[in-house]
Amino acid sequence: MATLKLLAAIALAALVHFVGMQLWPGFARVVDVFLVVVVLHGLQGSSLSALLVGLVVGLLQDTLTGGPFGLFGFADTIVGYVTARLAQRLVIQRPTGVLAVVSFASALQQAIVVGLVLVLLPSPELPSPVWVAVRAGTCGLLGLAIYVALGNWRRSSEARRRGRMNRLRMN
Amino acid sequence: MDERRTVWVLIVVLVGQLVFLAVQGARGGHTRAETVGLRLLGPLARTVAAIPRGFSDARQDMKLRGGLQEENRRLRREVEELRLHLLRLSDVEGEMRRLGEAVRYGTPPAGRIRSVDVVYVDYASWLRTLVLYTGDAPARKNQPVLSPDGLVGRVFAVAGPYSKVQLITDRAAGVGGMILRTHRQGVVRGGGRGSGALVLDYVPLQTDVRVGDQVLTAGIDGVYPRGIPVGTVVKVEGGGQLFHKVELAPAVDFGALDQVYLLDYDAVPPKLKENNPSGHP
Repeated sequence: MATLKLLAAIALAALVHFVGMQLWPGFARVVDVFLVVVVLHGLQGSSLSALLVGLVVGLLQDTLTGGPFGLFGFADTIVGYVTARLAQRLVIQRPTGVLAVVSFASALQQAIVVGLVLVLLPSPELPSPVWVAVRAGTCGLLGLAIYVALGNWRRSSEARRRGRMNRLRMN
Repeated sequence: MDERRTVWVLIVVLVGQLVFLAVQGARGGHTRAETVGLRLLGPLARTVAAIPRGFSDARQDMKLRGGLQEENRRLRREVEELRLHLLRLSDVEGEMRRLGEAVRYGTPPAGRIRSVDVVYVDYASWLRTLVLYTGDAPARKNQPVLSPDGLVGRVFAVAGPYSKVQLITDRAAGVGGMILRTHRQGVVRGGGRGSGALVLDYVPLQTDVRVGDQVLTAGIDGVYPRGIPVGTVVKVEGGGQLFHKVELAPAVDFGALDQVYLLDYDAVPPKLKENNPSGHP
């Protein structure tokens, strides 16, 4: 069930990415929906699963970008692992904590990709620092919004389940 | 699994990926993983791209119904003008052939074009790319991609009906370019800094380059034929000690691409290919 949910989340991220790119060509420059999926999965705390998900999602993302194939695979593997380790050591309960973690993860991912590009390509093009910061912030906000929405949805479905149980007991 | 083992898995995965990246850089080609990724994401991208296209087609139909007669008159006029133009060109072509025969000059083959759909384009970010749906007849690696306005790029990876294109605005892309007015050749590259502009390198300082000069493909890179518009000079500076710093605006508006053309063109003669089976120019 968890695997299915994860696959659905990745498919949804791809769909949001494609729709976003259709609506606004600068979408990929401003937000990275794939990274948000990796980080939110990493926050569940399983480091092995997080690094593997990071690897798969990163490689999918590599399909949609130019440059050497595997840049995002490498970066997202590290991001997934680091996020999971952070979640193991810190108690992240407040939505602002999620915002900080996702923003940090986005900055880390972009730093790793830039580092790799500098090592691998002779005269590479680099992203503007302003856009790096914007992307980190936007990813953080998106992560926060999804985290809050998922929390509300979980609470409401739990309340519905309890209500049903109570009605069954009364009958 | 305990944390120590996970760390080992992480190290193995990262080292594996680094080797993969290094090997790929040395070979300069695409990988099987990229092919799988394109096959997985291509259909979704195509579906999403088809929705607005359907809406825009329907809107276009509605608009057309209103002005069909006017459109028809305009197109007839245009056809007449194009016929005259074609007559003139045929005359020039015949003259060229006669002159070519006199000096035993072999005209390069023009190649055939085929229209294909763009299903995904990212021209704004710094790692830009374009994905095509080519249908039943897959594209060839290194096949030139054009739009009616000019050169778009070359096919970089092929996965069945989906192909990934390296845009000419990519910093890693290189196109043999030629200034139309002076026939001075250079190398066109992506301008970088996310600007979407191009630069024309290796144009000596003594060369006359002016703002507004048209730059075409020179046909010297073994990928693109000669004469495709690449861009227009928008800035000329005395860059280094030997060469001009020439900035170009691309001929193509990458944001307006929904269909492009694949050019079926063999830049390298078959005899030369036999001696170089790798196909690298």
